[in-house]
Amino acid sequence: MKTYGSEPGAPTPVQVGISELAVSEGDDTLKSYGLGSCLAIALYDPDSGIGGLAHAMLPDGDAAENSDRKPGKYADTAIRALLRRMVEDGASYIAVEAKLAGGSDMFEFESFGEGVGQRNIAAARAELEKLGVPLVAEDVGGEHGRTVEFTPGTGTLVVKTANKGVENGVLEL
Amino acid sequence: MKLDVNALGTFYRMAREGAGLAAGRLTHMTDVETQVGVTKLNFMRGREIRRDFEDSTEKVGVRVKLTGAIEGYSMIVFDRENAFRIIEALLAESNTDDVDVDNEFDEMTRSAATEVGHIMNSGFVDGWADVLEAVIDVSTPEFVEGRSADRFFGDIEEAPDDDDLALLFQSRIETVGTEIGFSHYLFPKRKSMASLLDRLRTSGGIEYDKLDGFDRMAERGAEEIAETATTLTGIDTSVEIRRLNFVSLETIPEQLPDETLVGVAFEFDGLPSGYLLFLFDEESAHEIVDAMVPMEVDEDGFGEMGTSAITELGNIMASGFLDGWANVLDTTIDHSPPEFIHDIGAAAVDPVIIQLGENQEFTFVFDTVVMADGKEFDCEVYAIPDENDLERALNDLEVDRIEDTPTTAEFQELDNT
Repeated sequence: MKTYGSEPGAPTPVQVGISELAVSEGDDTLKSYGLGSCLAIALYDPDSGIGGLAHAMLPDGDAAENSDRKPGKYADTAIRALLRRMVEDGASYIAVEAKLAGGSDMFEFESFGEGVGQRNIAAARAELEKLGVPLVAEDVGGEHGRTVEFTPGTGTLVVKTANKGVENGVLEL
Repeated sequence: MKLDVNALGTFYRMAREGAGLAAGRLTHMTDVETQVGVTKLNFMRGREIRRDFEDSTEKVGVRVKLTGAIEGYSMIVFDRENAFRIIEALLAESNTDDVDVDNEFDEMTRSAATEVGHIMNSGFVDGWADVLEAVIDVSTPEFVEGRSADRFFGDIEEAPDDDDLALLFQSRIETVGTEIGFSHYLFPKRKSMASLLDRLRTSGGIEYDKLDGFDRMAERGAEEIAETATTLTGIDTSVEIRRLNFVSLETIPEQLPDETLVGVAFEFDGLPSGYLLFLFDEESAHEIVDAMVPMEVDEDGFGEMGTSAITELGNIMASGFLDGWANVLDTTIDHSPPEFIHDIGAAAVDPVIIQLGENQEFTFVFDTVVMADGKEFDCEVYAIPDENDLERALNDLEVDRIEDTPTTAEFQELDNT
């Protein structure tokens, strides 16, 4: 969600809505609420503390016509757009690491076919591999939602989940 | 007058763009950090717009007359209290004395409010002009205050009559930290709207009058749900909100609170096909389980018994809702077995958004809230049809067909063992 007039260092985390992506640095956290089959892609450069978060909804942007206008909507184009913006802001490409969260498949509807959550995860992993960005941690799949908060400075991705198997429902990646 | 999804999509972008510019200018003027909340296109009857408006709070409005690419009226409406808060922020800049909220508007506060309203109206209008790549002229602003809808648009010829279905641009701009929201209304001249729609349409489209069928679908569906809920739980419920929205798919999860909800989801198949979700807050869900399961349930979360009670309620509500639609449209609609969800609200919706998002950017959402008197029973209903199916179903609809077959869901004995 775009905030008008926000000052740097403001304590409120910037919200990254569906199909959006945002880049920040240091302690300026980025947050995405209620990911179901959507995938949160967090990239960061540990040296400069520059990082970004994307809230992708579909796997394949190269096959879609509107991915130029909405790169954050698709896992593959979101990763490339994040990387580009981070490098523009001074991150070093070769240092960038990735973390993923989300990609659940909670419904078994006939029309859903092969789970789109799984397809999102596969697309993100493939794109990261193609670009040579190491995937250092992930909490993906399953049948429950997640809310994530990402701090680029430390590279910490905090995942809150409704999954009863996780202690207190909070995971730190 | 005909419309199609492309034309509505352009209107949606206009609303979004306009809200963005208006928010930016509000920030610029007052130094208050703002963000654009949910933007929607609503189809509402004149009667409901007036009912919504008359919630007994004092309101302040600033309206302008538009000519050019859009003809009609644009109006910004604040709750009186919010108007004073903005004026306070505005005048704080110029070091004047404190503004007293209990006061009447004096010349200074009135002119400050008018200025804020005007600049925001202009923000909206500039946004629309950008999207339409056309010129829209704005008259001098007019300040209105009062409680009744009549004060604000009684004298506007373009305002819809009680039974007319109006297309409303609804945007919220929120200030970070403080609660200042406002509503924005656009009442276009029918003729100006028709020529705009003609320009923007890329397909055959739907006759505007057929949208009446939409409204009846929404009405029937909502009544069925409230009736079913009352019969099954013994809790007296009624339809609180019933609205037909046209939104970008991505905004649907944004409307849900960031908390754990309990829900039942379905996919439905027929004319139209799509997805149907019932969402309850946890407290309401517990209340329902208590009402439906006669013995004491002492389980963590909702347990097997609670889950099955809610699922069953959802299942019967879904049948009633979709039967209501099928009756209005004179089609058949089947639905899948129910899927129970107990999860973060937005996460329950996003798989559906994703599924539809492969082929469409926008959607009609039938937004319904059923509530109970005195007890916790808040149920939000999201019915999201596939857009092509819906267009086809509506086009097949004969507007004059008077359907008087009452639809009633069938109630079966609940198996609580």
